[in-house]
Amino acid sequence: MKILIVEDSNSIAMVVAGMLKEAGKEPVRAVDGKDAIDVIKENPDIALILLDWNMPNMNGLEFLQYNQENSLTKAPIVMMTTENKPEKIMTALQHGAVEYIMKPFTVDILNSKIDSVLNSGQ
Amino acid sequence: MSQTSTTVYKFFADFVFNKTGISYPEKDYYRLDSRINTLMAHFECETPQQVYEKFRDNLTADMETFLVDICTNNETYFFRDEKPFKALVNDMIPQIAEQKGNNLLNIWCCASSTGQEPLSIMMSIKEAQEQDKVSKGTLISFKATDISTKALDKAKSGIYTGLDVQRGLPIQLMVKYFTNDDKGNWVAKPDILSPIQYGSFNLFSTIYPAEQYDIIFCRNVLIYQDQENKKRILENIAKTLKPGGFLILGAGESLIGTDLDLTQLSLSNALVFQKPL
Repeated sequence: MKILIVEDSNSIAMVVAGMLKEAGKEPVRAVDGKDAIDVIKENPDIALILLDWNMPNMNGLEFLQYNQENSLTKAPIVMMTTENKPEKIMTALQHGAVEYIMKPFTVDILNSKIDSVLNSGQ
Repeated sequence: MSQTSTTVYKFFADFVFNKTGISYPEKDYYRLDSRINTLMAHFECETPQQVYEKFRDNLTADMETFLVDICTNNETYFFRDEKPFKALVNDMIPQIAEQKGNNLLNIWCCASSTGQEPLSIMMSIKEAQEQDKVSKGTLISFKATDISTKALDKAKSGIYTGLDVQRGLPIQLMVKYFTNDDKGNWVAKPDILSPIQYGSFNLFSTIYPAEQYDIIFCRNVLIYQDQENKKRILENIAKTLKPGGFLILGAGESLIGTDLDLTQLSLSNALVFQKPL
């Protein structure tokens, strides 16, 4: 099962990819929102997207807006970010994110959030 | 093996068993090592023998509280096992309202730890009221107890870390029922925190009020008890349950080994136990 990590930090992306592999998932990487558009077009079978907020070129919110306007993917989008103010969280949810992982997090939190989203059929 | 003597291990194993029912048989004495080390650091003793003598000869209520706190397992998270919370609002509360013919609801969460379970119950009820599954006029009397003072202090504060709120709590409910403070913590809003009356209670108490509660959550506490204690606690809990009331145990916990007159039911895929009317 392919999980797309949209994250500009190489070190964070590597850690998350390692966690996903441990859980039997197949991590795919994009370095920002623009890159994610290309990666999604090349990988239509992506099951879930982990999306950072603060990234160059196209940030997480801009990616959510792009996806809403262009129906790029129906894969559920889970924010994965240090942005943890309720207003920011609400904004992301209003623009199509279905869950939210606040950094820092643990491997258990990552896995349980991913599983709950995939099992809810969202 | 540590420098701890069998006498010291036995003393603390007996002490913890008598206060909490948590059993450390001889083969598991090593599990006391980290607790004894914590006691040594806290009470500034250099050897296990010294801390043992302090507890044996000069025990105070504060020392007892400290030991109980470090020996109780406060592992908990929001909406643990999920199904009981669905059964609560889909099945149990509507059935109780119908049986009683009123909207008074007495709930007891008897091992509430740091508060995630009682708050999950409150959020479930609030959400169900919005969806008209539970009457908006329901008057809730909600008691939540634990033996650990430290756990209760956190529960009463309603303050949780970013990691706490990410364990089991869907993000939509987090932003709806919690606010964040300037330290990055998340604070339960009064509408879910204030109805819960927290208090200290030892399940080994002999004083349980008769037929007091409609619904009792007693989850993930019996697994740490031996069969005799488990039987004793369950008998007391059954007595304090009202006729027609429901008991919810943890996943994997059961009434096996008891002869209580409770009926096992599957409600919304959760196993629950009901006292006959």
